[in-house]
Amino acid sequence: MATVSTLNPGNRLTDEQVLLRDTLHDLADARIAPRAAEIDRTSEFPEDIRQLLAQQDVLGLPFPVEHGGVGGDLLTVCLAIEQIARACATSSLILIVQELGALPLLIAGSPEQQARWFPDLASGRTLAAFGLTEPEAGSDAASIRTRAVRDGDEYRISGTKRFITNGSVAGLITVFAVTDPDAPRHKRLSCFGVEVPADGFRVERLEHKLGIRGSPTAELSFAEVRVPVANRIGEEGEGFRIAMATLDRSRPGVAAQAVGIAQGALEVATAYARERKQFGQRIGDFQMIQAMLADMDAQVESARQLLYTACVEIEAGGPDVARWSALCKLVAGDAAMRVTTDAVQVLGGYGYIDEFPVERMMRDAKITQIYEGTQQVQRLVIARALLGRPDA
Amino acid sequence: MHIVVLTKPVPDPAAAAERLGPDHRLDRAASPSVVNGNDEYALEAALKLADSLGGEVSLLTMSPANGADTMRKALAMGAARGTLVTDPALAGSDAWSTTQVLAAALRGMTFDLVLAGVDTSDGVGGVVASGIAALLRLPYLGNAARIEPDVAASTVRVRRITPSGYDVLEAPMPALVVCTQALGEPRYPSLKGIMGARTKEITTQSLADLGLDAGTLGGANALTAVQATKRPPARDATKVVRGSAEEGAAAIVELLTTRRII
Amino acid sequence: MRTIWVIAEPNGDGSLARISAEAATMARSLAESAGGEAAGIAVASDPSGIANELAAYVARVVAITDANADGKAWAAVAAERAATVISDDPEAVVVVGAGPDGRDVAGALSALTGLGVLVNATAVTWADDGPSVEMSAFGGKLLTTSTFVSGAGIVTVRPNVVEAQAADSAGKVEQLAAEKDALLPRVDVVEQVVEAGAAAPIEEAKVIVSGGRGVGGAEGFGLVGEIATALGGAVGATRAAVDSGWIPYAQQIGQTGKIVKPDLYLALGISGAIQHKVGMQTAHTIVAVNRDPDAPISEFADLLVVGDLFEVGAALLAALKTRAG
Repeated sequence: MATVSTLNPGNRLTDEQVLLRDTLHDLADARIAPRAAEIDRTSEFPEDIRQLLAQQDVLGLPFPVEHGGVGGDLLTVCLAIEQIARACATSSLILIVQELGALPLLIAGSPEQQARWFPDLASGRTLAAFGLTEPEAGSDAASIRTRAVRDGDEYRISGTKRFITNGSVAGLITVFAVTDPDAPRHKRLSCFGVEVPADGFRVERLEHKLGIRGSPTAELSFAEVRVPVANRIGEEGEGFRIAMATLDRSRPGVAAQAVGIAQGALEVATAYARERKQFGQRIGDFQMIQAMLADMDAQVESARQLLYTACVEIEAGGPDVARWSALCKLVAGDAAMRVTTDAVQVLGGYGYIDEFPVERMMRDAKITQIYEGTQQVQRLVIARALLGRPDA
Repeated sequence: MHIVVLTKPVPDPAAAAERLGPDHRLDRAASPSVVNGNDEYALEAALKLADSLGGEVSLLTMSPANGADTMRKALAMGAARGTLVTDPALAGSDAWSTTQVLAAALRGMTFDLVLAGVDTSDGVGGVVASGIAALLRLPYLGNAARIEPDVAASTVRVRRITPSGYDVLEAPMPALVVCTQALGEPRYPSLKGIMGARTKEITTQSLADLGLDAGTLGGANALTAVQATKRPPARDATKVVRGSAEEGAAAIVELLTTRRII
Repeated sequence: MRTIWVIAEPNGDGSLARISAEAATMARSLAESAGGEAAGIAVASDPSGIANELAAYVARVVAITDANADGKAWAAVAAERAATVISDDPEAVVVVGAGPDGRDVAGALSALTGLGVLVNATAVTWADDGPSVEMSAFGGKLLTTSTFVSGAGIVTVRPNVVEAQAADSAGKVEQLAAEKDALLPRVDVVEQVVEAGAAAPIEEAKVIVSGGRGVGGAEGFGLVGEIATALGGAVGATRAAVDSGWIPYAQQIGQTGKIVKPDLYLALGISGAIQHKVGMQTAHTIVAVNRDPDAPISEFADLLVVGDLFEVGAALLAALKTRAG
């Protein structure tokens, strides 16, 4: 395989992006890949990988330079996620959620809030989490019930959040809560930066999951947690808009994770097909295996190219942002599931056991079809963009 | 402290994509390049010294113009700036030309130390560094496993690896030190380093800028010439022996006997 | 009449390094083809011992006494004194070793005399008016044959390319006192430390038994050492073994370690990745023991024994003992 450093099809990546990608490629192979199986087996949050990413400025990628970040654009952040996910999906989630949890601030935070919180987030001293989903509010995000009641110069937040990635290790959670229950559906919510631990805040439990097992997925309860008005992000009633704008920008991160997982699986399957011999020859010489590998490559590459294009379009802004965001996540998530399933198939019995990483990659891939908007929701977003056009 | 590190872009050994030109010499413009592996140890040593003693690290390279791309990675590791000596006349240069050119470039610089790698993965000669030291009349300390400058006294102590252990060498600075792997693993470029590398200055110099005469240097004036190239004779197919350990051992003994090794 | 020069490289104890005996043998055979003579140069505060050793291989030796050479790093001293002799010979051909000392001398000598350098010669013959030097390039993928444009130049040669062979009669030693002041700065050798377990330069070994990641630890290298001893060879290692602290860096073979060309390279638990391969692939015979039949080394070894290296190693030791006894 040609070295990564020569790959820049269409010259769409800058020199810095190529160097960043290649550096993280090597770093992931050398320092993250050897830990991936153990992280999955123990389901323990990889604090060492978090430190490594912080040290290498990876967690600073989404944040502005003036606050100690690296000032990477969306494509640059996705390049980083892709390379890490190739080695370990759980580890890539550390960067994905650092961005996801901070996006409300990046989008709607005041200069004072950004100056207050970004330095610790950019340095990786503090981890972020995104507190939107509730036990009864998943795809239907607008129906969340957590309540934020204004009391003088504070809000008191009460409710339950579920499936919150990094909920147990984060120091800052961007929490969405109802501030005006009588307002129209999309104006009921506001967004708050909640520093934890805090009085009334509790991590109730962590989920046992099919995949991304080293990532702590938490149920959080808020019992009259007090939060100063200065911690409200944006105006009252802007919460839903901020949440949707956040997801538009964070979905490519999930797509990048999916592309990375799929790439990792493709590499394992290809190497196996080169070496494994049956019936006197390499299984890579059999056409059925070749067809599978070819289809896998086509799926990975097309998901990747769509992702890169989507990143550029979303960064540029414009009316089509939601469509690009949904397209890249839809295609990449489905590709990751198919590619990893086929990778297990190529390895046959060996694909089913944990001696090889593809069974873990298949379990990890599934979440990319679910979180940050299920594939079904992505299809609704795309259809709405298509049908909503005047000439449609 | 100011430390100059000599770096060279070489064909990526892992890519195995070297191409030859019509003169049987490496077509550098055609092969994708990386920073010579051994130079990264020198660079890491320089960065560690600058971190602990205060100071800056500069890079010096002689290469085709596209050497600036490869230099960016070394800048991303933390060097402050680079100088690239490039000139069409220098294509196909031998070790002699390289030595002259790098020495001339160093003459225009002020430094406490010049650090170099043991050799390059393409030429594997390891003769340029001692040549530069001789031309510039710099103390030469080779094969270093440890480098300890005394900034106040302006001297440097070096552990030089020997077959029986090591020698401790000492010399006044400025000096030239050749660095081995024993000095420590090169750091990954930090992302801030990568994004900031573009703003770091790379000064380009031609032979004329260095006051050197193209008529005595470069490929056209090389002291050596490649006459022919060929692939090494292929080995016979590998014999694979499975079975018991005793059978394996017997196969080894048989081969060594046949080849008169025992 | 052409003179083929060889510079005496010293061991730590001042005796003649084996590579110089090999270089001198090569110089002598080149001199025969050229219809000239091989001459040595020895530089030290008292060069008589090393000069007499070198004289066994060449027609004459210029023994240069430099009173200020004691306690100084050798290469710069030797290069500048040798340069005064060699500069008087416009057609000089010089042969030195390709190890650290030889390279250091070659580089400085080239700068002082204007002679070009051809490195890592694997074969040298005489052609027309100068040496024709074969070298391997690109990690062994290519063999190149090169010459000096003027016919004069410096050649560095790796160990084991030539077998050292004394001449029929010893050459004469001429004394020369170094007169001029030192040109190049002299570096003080403040201390010489001998480390326990330091072996002879591994590049000189005819047999190398090498351990990789599969050896699993420093204790495992005990077996590697026993097999090396039984075969009369040296112990080598991959980067992985050195990085894990199982064996010193001096034994490391590969791109950032030593390049070797022994008669036998026995690789135990070594996958044969490119960084290691470039260090040993020109060995005459390569035998590998590995649990993985598809390890990269299977593509260029002469013999691959698939199995546990400790079991096969123990069986090999037993077989060698039986054979010997």
